[in-house]
Amino acid sequence: MLKKTGRVLWAVLAAAALAGCGHDSQTSHIATSTQRGTLAVDPPLRVASLSATAFASQLSASASGAQLLQLAGTPQCGVDFYYIKYWTVDPAGSPTEVSGALMVPTGTGATCSGPRPIVLYAHGTAESSQYNIADISDPNNSAYSESAMIAAVFAAQGDIVVAPNYEGYDISTLGYHPYLDASVNADDMIDALTAAQTALPHTFTPQTVGDGKVFVTGYSEGGYVAMATVKAMQAAGMTVTASAPSSGPYALEALGDLIFFGQVNIGSTVFAPLLTTSYQNAYHNVYNQTSDVYSSTYAPDIATLLPSATPITTLFSTGKLPESALFDSATPSSSTGVPQIDAAADALLAEPASPPYTPAQAALFDAGFGSNYLVNNTYRTEYVDDAVENPDEAAMTVIDGGTLDSSDIALAVAPTVGLREDMRINDMRYGGWSPEEPMLLCGADQDPTVYFEVDTGTMAAEWHALVQAGLVSVLDLNATPSGPFAPLQQGFQSTYAALVSAEGASTAIQSYHTTEAPFCMVAARDFFAQVP
Amino acid sequence: MRRKIAWLALGTVVALGAATGARADETYLNDVRIGAYLLHFDSTASEITGPFTVGGLNTRIQSTTTLYLAYVRQLSRHFQIEVALGWPPLTYAQGVGPATVGSIPYNGKQIASVRWLSPTALFEYSFFGPRAKWRPFIGIGVNYTNFYDRQVTAAGAAVSGGPTSISLPSSVGPAVTAGVLYHLNARWHLVASYSVAQVNSRLTTDTAGVLRSSEVHFWPNAVVLSVGYSF
Repeated sequence: MLKKTGRVLWAVLAAAALAGCGHDSQTSHIATSTQRGTLAVDPPLRVASLSATAFASQLSASASGAQLLQLAGTPQCGVDFYYIKYWTVDPAGSPTEVSGALMVPTGTGATCSGPRPIVLYAHGTAESSQYNIADISDPNNSAYSESAMIAAVFAAQGDIVVAPNYEGYDISTLGYHPYLDASVNADDMIDALTAAQTALPHTFTPQTVGDGKVFVTGYSEGGYVAMATVKAMQAAGMTVTASAPSSGPYALEALGDLIFFGQVNIGSTVFAPLLTTSYQNAYHNVYNQTSDVYSSTYAPDIATLLPSATPITTLFSTGKLPESALFDSATPSSSTGVPQIDAAADALLAEPASPPYTPAQAALFDAGFGSNYLVNNTYRTEYVDDAVENPDEAAMTVIDGGTLDSSDIALAVAPTVGLREDMRINDMRYGGWSPEEPMLLCGADQDPTVYFEVDTGTMAAEWHALVQAGLVSVLDLNATPSGPFAPLQQGFQSTYAALVSAEGASTAIQSYHTTEAPFCMVAARDFFAQVP
Repeated sequence: MRRKIAWLALGTVVALGAATGARADETYLNDVRIGAYLLHFDSTASEITGPFTVGGLNTRIQSTTTLYLAYVRQLSRHFQIEVALGWPPLTYAQGVGPATVGSIPYNGKQIASVRWLSPTALFEYSFFGPRAKWRPFIGIGVNYTNFYDRQVTAAGAAVSGGPTSISLPSSVGPAVTAGVLYHLNARWHLVASYSVAQVNSRLTTDTAGVLRSSEVHFWPNAVVLSVGYSF
């Protein structure tokens, strides 16, 4: 009897177990290919989904958000924020996994679903290695404000947005960022676009896909990356419907020269290690050891300092990096033995003073000099000597107070300092190219971080004779308002004036560069809208 | 549907029991029971944590009813061992927290379901003699729970951000019971009991490679109404 009962019991248990022979739900597919442009996780994670109303409400909750909302306009669409992971190549040509954002407009409005234009956006310089432009769910994320900006300006108005985080950030294991490395940055952008196009049909709104139009834009470092991307996409025969690089260091060699001539820009102590680390890894010609370039105070850690998981303010306060002193206030002298070179170099090595600079300019540049300085005097002298012997004509034109035109903006012919060689080949003048589709160059002429004249002015002069009239437009937000962008010029100028009034000129100038950003992005949107 | 099956089974067996006679002086060592397992969860869960996760998200396990099956072996006049399990119930996890996450509804939404095979072995002491009309009993034992058929609902996938898999490791924990047996006759009896088990697991979800987790304490407490047959 007991045996029979046991059989009954086990039969019941077995039946119960069989009843559960269901299946578990599955997550996304992980790609095995590491080819460029491969979407690593398909479908990608949707980080957040905000209706138009919810997004407007979220922005309204902060003063800066409310200001952005007023500038960008009431959201017409909701926005789904996706976190894309994809494969690109590092400077050595090896596959490397990176991440970024895909923002998809949602909602029932006619402009919020179905085939939509794609805006490929490149972000500005980021110190935090945890920068993730997809993470709109975390207001403490260093990318939050930039993420909100492009979502408000583009995605909430009906554009699909693709924005890479770049190599060296977020999930990237590269260990450094290929800063202002034109081909690597452009490849990253193109691969993000390819991966996003793979992802779009697999999102929660699979009917919303690209309509064939691709607009390329970016701000600051991203302005440079956007221009490099246009150059690369054109060379590859890819569609660029229009572009709007904004406030980027396009004429990289000329900008570098001006900085070494003492026109030290705001943010230079962050830009310098990012750039030297990038080029040292790519070209191995910047230094034999970091102390060749950097002062003994900062040389030991500088090669791996940025981007960092440690807040930049902590890096400053703990003495890992000077806040603004790029050069020694006890300026060095040239000693090439060639009197003309030494004289010219000494004039350029001296700290800029008023006159000829305005007191405000002199004060700004003065912050770039100090006793706890980043770049050593030997290297600065070597660099300036090279810039005198192998001049970048645009830099020389600007420093001499001349007007940039196509006859006086040539790159250095044969620089000998490694950093200058690298900046030369990554300068947007390099390669003799010009845009084939409409391009808007936006910025503001008093920008103390990325100099408008030497960057935007040089590129405009470079292309003036090469492209048909009207193909390349320049928007100076600080110019007397006129034309279709007059409201944006007025808006920028009144916003900055209010900032000066609230904080004082010397504090407000620190925010000048970032204040331009949303105005340039709205200008880019308006510019794209009128491209057929 | 499960509830109907459970009550139908209970009713059928009670009817059978009432119709079947047996000699009152016999002592039986074996007992099988069938009935209704009214499962209530006093679940608690730690806040869901992980990348891209807003604060304040939690879950609650919805109560359910399923079929109760048990085998009881008499060891002595007062002691017995019971092996019990419910027909693996489909149990839903419900979102607890803000009304929406972003613009996706969350609070009160069924976000996931799971089946679980959850046998419990109990060592029990029964009061009074084997032939007493009413026999209260108490017991202590161990529960093993295995989760399977782990599914994320459409609402769960929407709030998680995409297709999601769930990991919910098996649990072993103590269980206690108290109840009373009512003899209809020598072979047939009705049993009502109340049991509590400790079932803990760590819920981990994987959405596009992003792992989020929460410690879940299910605390299933069950009222069992069953009919048993001794042999």
